[in-house]
Amino acid sequence: MKKLAGLTVFLCVFTMLLVPVTVKAAEPYNLGVALGLTGAGALYSADGVEGIKLAVEEINAKGGFLGQHKVELFIRDSQTKPDVGVREVKDLILRDKIKAVINDYSSAVAMAVKPIAQEYKVLHIASISNSENITKINPSPYTFQVVPNSYMQGKASAVAVAKIANQKGWKEYITIASDYEWGRSTQDEVVKVLKALAPNLTLKKEFWPRLGEAQFTSYITGIMAMKPDFVFGILASNDNVAWMEQAKTYGFFDKIPYPGSLITVTELQLQAKTLPRNMIALTRAPFFAHMDIPMMADFVKNYRAKYNKYPSDWAVLCYDAVYTLKQGVEKAKSIDTEKVKDAMKGMTVDLTRGKLTFRTIDNQLSCSSYVGTITDDPRYPFPIYKDIVEVKGSESERPESEILEARKAK
Amino acid sequence: MDITSLFTQFLSGLTYGTILFLVAAGLSLIFGVMNILNFAHAALWLMGAYFSYTFWNLMQEHSFAFWLSIPLAGFAAAAVGWFLEVVLIKRIYKRELHEQLLITYSVALILSDTIKLTWGVTNKLIVRPEMIRKPVFIFGAPLDSYFIFVIIAGAAVAIGLWWFLKYTRYGHIVKAAVYSREMVAALGIPIPRIYTWVFTLGIFLAGFAGGIQAPIGSITLGMDNAIIIQAFCVVVIGGFGSLLGTLVGSLIVGEVMSFTILFWPEGAMVLIFVITAAILIVRPWGLFGTPMRT
Repeated sequence: MKKLAGLTVFLCVFTMLLVPVTVKAAEPYNLGVALGLTGAGALYSADGVEGIKLAVEEINAKGGFLGQHKVELFIRDSQTKPDVGVREVKDLILRDKIKAVINDYSSAVAMAVKPIAQEYKVLHIASISNSENITKINPSPYTFQVVPNSYMQGKASAVAVAKIANQKGWKEYITIASDYEWGRSTQDEVVKVLKALAPNLTLKKEFWPRLGEAQFTSYITGIMAMKPDFVFGILASNDNVAWMEQAKTYGFFDKIPYPGSLITVTELQLQAKTLPRNMIALTRAPFFAHMDIPMMADFVKNYRAKYNKYPSDWAVLCYDAVYTLKQGVEKAKSIDTEKVKDAMKGMTVDLTRGKLTFRTIDNQLSCSSYVGTITDDPRYPFPIYKDIVEVKGSESERPESEILEARKAK
Repeated sequence: MDITSLFTQFLSGLTYGTILFLVAAGLSLIFGVMNILNFAHAALWLMGAYFSYTFWNLMQEHSFAFWLSIPLAGFAAAAVGWFLEVVLIKRIYKRELHEQLLITYSVALILSDTIKLTWGVTNKLIVRPEMIRKPVFIFGAPLDSYFIFVIIAGAAVAIGLWWFLKYTRYGHIVKAAVYSREMVAALGIPIPRIYTWVFTLGIFLAGFAGGIQAPIGSITLGMDNAIIIQAFCVVVIGGFGSLLGTLVGSLIVGEVMSFTILFWPEGAMVLIFVITAAILIVRPWGLFGTPMRT
């Protein structure tokens, strides 16, 4: 009898062992991407998506966030329009249950999306759009910016230009800036900084071509007729390409110094044959400035292997956006959005551009801007910057007191 | 401001006006003859620019690639236009204007997505031959050397269309159809076939204009959004269906834009819309159009 009981117990235990154990898979991390894949932002956004896809592939190859939460990507086209951006992000939140969204090319879209992300408690990472108003005014604890903002870029550029203006004795200048949030806010900051650092300079005229302008001829001839000592350009993406191509055919750059223009790695590659050399320009995240950092060197290697080209600033920034999120999750030890949001406040992150810290006051990453001279380099099939001046975030950020004042005035 | 600077700005307005004329000529022709307000016209213009890039890209080792790609873009766009007319536009001749607008706007959206799927989202750049990369100086005023070709092409299109309308049998039929399509039909002339060819010719002009635009800057998605509004302003000012009106309207818009940018940069587009609105109120058929229509 005892033997029978023992056999029964053995069989029961054996049978239990045979029952397949079902392990519940860890919850995936749904990551939304809403970038301007069409419209004025298409050129930069396409590269951004490539950077995001590569980062997600790398992270998922190691099991996902915290080694267990696979990252699932949901990519939408904001068409670089605020109403479309808001609609798409809402849909991502309600339908695809995203926990975070990387958005947008256009600052106007990012600012329209910011309150939506806050309302639905979704993390919002601005990786291309860089108006400082995204984080300065009406701050949201859910919105983080990993790109140098318009104030930082304007100041970095203006500092360099003011030095040159003082050296060369320039007296009058003209600005030409895209007529939308980023163009307006950057121009405003540049003018203020130039006034402070080069008080002898006079702003002769302001030109505001609309976003998406394809015909710059009248602006070019108009500016040339006014004969300023230099022109400060604040044009981006397709507008910048059109401007550069058309201005060049008028011999504009041979006649009028044009420092401080945003010429990113996209333009360096796209206009490799035609871009005027020795022009002093500005950019946000050039990979060649940080090839000494292992994360950047690996990223460039993997990006080239996957896409057969060098990464633009936008690919770098969007890649960094995903790794920022990863490190936020790791610090929080959870994918819970509230915990990640709290963990990211003031967090220091290891990115392709080095070890950088988010400012507590505005969730702006204290990252660098880069000013340099466009020059050919035998290592690359396009010109790069030489004599790079890396203006650190700490040197170009708006003082916290001014931010508090602006918020109070609002 | 010296006289050379003013002349430079005049040349700038002339080139801009010529580009607008090339876009608006087809739009005006199609509306004048067929009474179709084609909102997809600028999308076909953009498609012409992309076609031009493709032809140039395929033949770029040949010296003629740059020049040949421009008319080829016109023919490729015309083929698309012919297909659209036969399949879709033919069915909406008798619809209300607002329905036509909605349908042609839908076509514009479909074409934009087709462009995106076919050519991708990255900008396309046509590298100009060495001889037209530098400016030329006319009485000391700088001018992009390519714009000499643009102005000649614009003049050739204007003269060619004028000659076609004035001296050819088909031209006479087209002109007659502007005034009374019923009378033309009563004479045994197959109006549907005439419409198909007029639409195809209009889209050829759009594609040709797109090909001409392509080497001016980079070819980008969304370029068509702004130009369609300005092209409508041109035909409203000049008068729908009037070739001379389109030419004069284009030059007015080009020169007003150019000189306003010089003296009042913020108001450049505003002034164009004010002129357009004023024409609509005072003379709704435009400067050279005709109020008669049966």
